[in-house]
Amino acid sequence: MKLKTHLAIVAAKTSHFILKNILHRSATAFPGKIALKIDPNLLQNLNEKSTTILVTGTNGKTLTTALCAKIMRTAGFKVMTNSSGSNMIQGIVNTLIMQQSKNHNNQKSVAILEVDEANMAQVSAALKPEFIVLTNIFRDQMDRYGEIYTTYDKILAGIKKVPQATLIVNGDSPIFQRNKPQNRQIYYGFDLTNKNENRQAPSNTDGVLSPTDHSILHYRFLTYANLGAYYSVTDDFKRPPLNYAVTKINNLTPKESEFEIEHKPFRIEIGGLYNIYNALAAYALACELGIKPETVQRTFEQNQQIFGRQEAINIKDKELTIVLIKNPVGANAIIDLMLTEKDPFSLGVLLNANYADGIDTSWIWDADFEKLHQASIKKVIVGGERYRDIHVRLKMGGFPTQDIEPDLTKLVNHLSNVPTKKIYLAATYTAMLQLREQLAKSGYLKGGF
Amino acid sequence: MNLTIQIAHLYGNIMNTYGDYGNIVALRYYAKMLGIVVNDKIVSLGDPLVADEYDFMLFGGGQDFEEKVLAPDFRQKASIMQEYIENGGPMLAVCGGYQMLGQYFVMSNGEKISGLGVLPHYTVNQANSRFIGNITIKNSQTQETYHGFENHQGRTFLGAGEQPLGEVISGHGNNGEDQSEGVIYQNVFGTYFHGPILTRNGNLAKRLLKIILNRKLPEKDWDTLVDPLPAENF
Repeated sequence: MKLKTHLAIVAAKTSHFILKNILHRSATAFPGKIALKIDPNLLQNLNEKSTTILVTGTNGKTLTTALCAKIMRTAGFKVMTNSSGSNMIQGIVNTLIMQQSKNHNNQKSVAILEVDEANMAQVSAALKPEFIVLTNIFRDQMDRYGEIYTTYDKILAGIKKVPQATLIVNGDSPIFQRNKPQNRQIYYGFDLTNKNENRQAPSNTDGVLSPTDHSILHYRFLTYANLGAYYSVTDDFKRPPLNYAVTKINNLTPKESEFEIEHKPFRIEIGGLYNIYNALAAYALACELGIKPETVQRTFEQNQQIFGRQEAINIKDKELTIVLIKNPVGANAIIDLMLTEKDPFSLGVLLNANYADGIDTSWIWDADFEKLHQASIKKVIVGGERYRDIHVRLKMGGFPTQDIEPDLTKLVNHLSNVPTKKIYLAATYTAMLQLREQLAKSGYLKGGF
Repeated sequence: MNLTIQIAHLYGNIMNTYGDYGNIVALRYYAKMLGIVVNDKIVSLGDPLVADEYDFMLFGGGQDFEEKVLAPDFRQKASIMQEYIENGGPMLAVCGGYQMLGQYFVMSNGEKISGLGVLPHYTVNQANSRFIGNITIKNSQTQETYHGFENHQGRTFLGAGEQPLGEVISGHGNNGEDQSEGVIYQNVFGTYFHGPILTRNGNLAKRLLKIILNRKLPEKDWDTLVDPLPAENF
C-alpha cells in the first residue's frame, strides 16, 4: 500500500473518531471526503482482497443490499457493507476504510455496496465488481438526471467498465433490455404462470415503449408500475426467460409478506410487493454465490432490524409507521401497502423539496393518492416544508379535511392525539430525517436518532 | 347541472413524466364545485382523434425518446389539430407537448425533429445543460402572477402572432434570453411549467375553465359562476 493511501486512511479514521465520539455527529460521508482529497485513487487501492458486489437502481437499493449482507453473514462470509445507505463515492470510501481493518483472518471476504446511479462509472471502474445487481429504474429525482434513460445510461457506463462482471437483473423491467451490454446476465422476476391478462400498464406509467419497434408494451400480467411479463404485440420482443422467479404470492399485510420462490415458501417481515423484488434479487445473488436456498429462507425469517425504513415507533399508545416516499412509483407502492391494512388508521404526509428529496415536487400529482379512498382513514395530517403542495394535492384528490402542521414539535404532539391507534406517515427523505430527530428529542425513538 | 367536459389527453400514456396529469385533476376539482363532471380520455399512438368530441386537450411533457416516437403519429393529425386550434379549441400544452405544436425541436443529442407546424415557435437545444428550478412569471395583460417548476433542455423562441404566457420574474422561461415564458395563441396555452401549472395557479385554471364553458354553452354567464370559486394560488 502506498504512503498516500496510508495517510488517507489515517486521516479518515481520525476524523471519523472525532465526529462520532467527540462531536456526536453523523460520520458517514465526511471522512471519506477527506481521504479522497489526500489520495484520489484511494478506492482502487482499498479493495484488493474482497469479492465486490454493487447494487444499483432507483428504488430498493438499501433493502436489497441489507438482505444480501445478512444472507452472506449467515452463510459465513466476512461482509463489508454501506448499511447506512451512504451510497455516493465518499460514503463508499468511508465504508471500506472503517470496515476493512476488522478483517484479519482467512474468512472469505465480500464487499456488498449500494451505489448511487450517477456514481456507478467511477465506483465500478475503481472496484472492479464481480457482480452488479440491478433493481429497477423508475422516475426519480428528475431534477438531477432528467430522464429515466439518462439514469440507465449512467448505470450502463458503470457496467461497461467491467465486461467480465455478472449482472443480476430485474427481468420484469423492460428498460434493462435497451442497448443490452454483453455481460453475462442472470434474470429474476415474477412468474405467475396462471395469469394472461393481455393488458397495458396504467396510463401514468413510465417506460412502456418497446425498445425494438417503439410500440406500447403489453403484459401477460403486471406486478406494479411497468414491471411484469411484458411483450410486444408487433414483433417478438418479450421478457427474457427468468433464472429465479417468484412463483406465488400467498399473503400480504403491512408488516409481512409470504410468497414462494421456485415453489418454496418464504416469509419476510416487511410489507409491500416491491420488497419481494428486493428479497428475490438477494436470493438470486445468494444462489449465484453458491449459498443454499435454506440459508436464505432462514435469514429472511430471522430479520427485523434490516427493515429500518419501515419500523413502527410507539408514541404513547399510538403505533407510528414511517415510510419513505420520493417518486410516484415508490409512493404508489406505499399506497398499495397501506391498502393491505385492515384496521382504520390516520395518514400523515410530509413533503420537503431539498436536494436529497428532489427539488421538483410535481411527481406528487402522478402518485395515485385517490386510491386511498379505499382505506379506512380517520384523519389526514400534512406537513413538511412544502406542506402547501401536498395539502392541495390531497385536497384536490378528495380529502377536503386535513390538519396542516408544518411545525415538527407540534406534529409529534398531534400524532399522539389522532383518533386511531395506527398511523402511517409517508415522508420524503429530509422530512423523514427531521421527523426522526424530533421523535428522538421527544424520547420516542429508542436508541436515539 | 348536467354537464360534462370531455378532455383529450394527448399521448398521456407515454408523455407522462412530470406530473402534468395533475392539470386534469385541478380542472376536475374546480368544475366539480359547479357540479360539472370532467372526463378524460387518452388519445395516443395509432388512435384516431375526433376533435369535435372534446372540449379541451392536454398534451404534457415527457422524455426525448417518447417525444421522438410520437412525432410522426402526431404529424398525421396536423390538419385535425390545426382546425381545432383555429376554431378556438382550448388546449394546454406543457413542455414536450408545447414544443411539439411548433415548427421543430432539437433534442439533447442534437437530432432535429419536425413538429406539428401549426404554431410558429421552434425549439433548439442546449449542450449538456437544462433549465431546472422554480420559476415565477407575470402576465402583463391580466396582471396575474404564476408559479411553477421548470425542467427543460429545449429553448423555445416564439413566432409571429404568438404572445408569451408571461414575462419571467425569476427563472429561465422559454429560452433564458428574451424573458418570455410559454405561449398564448387563440385558446392554446403553452408552457414549460410543471408543478403542475393549474394546480398551483387557480387563477389560470379558472380562466381556462371559463374559456371551455363559454365555448360549450355560450348562453350561460360563466364568468359570474366561475369567478367567485375559491382558488389555490401558491
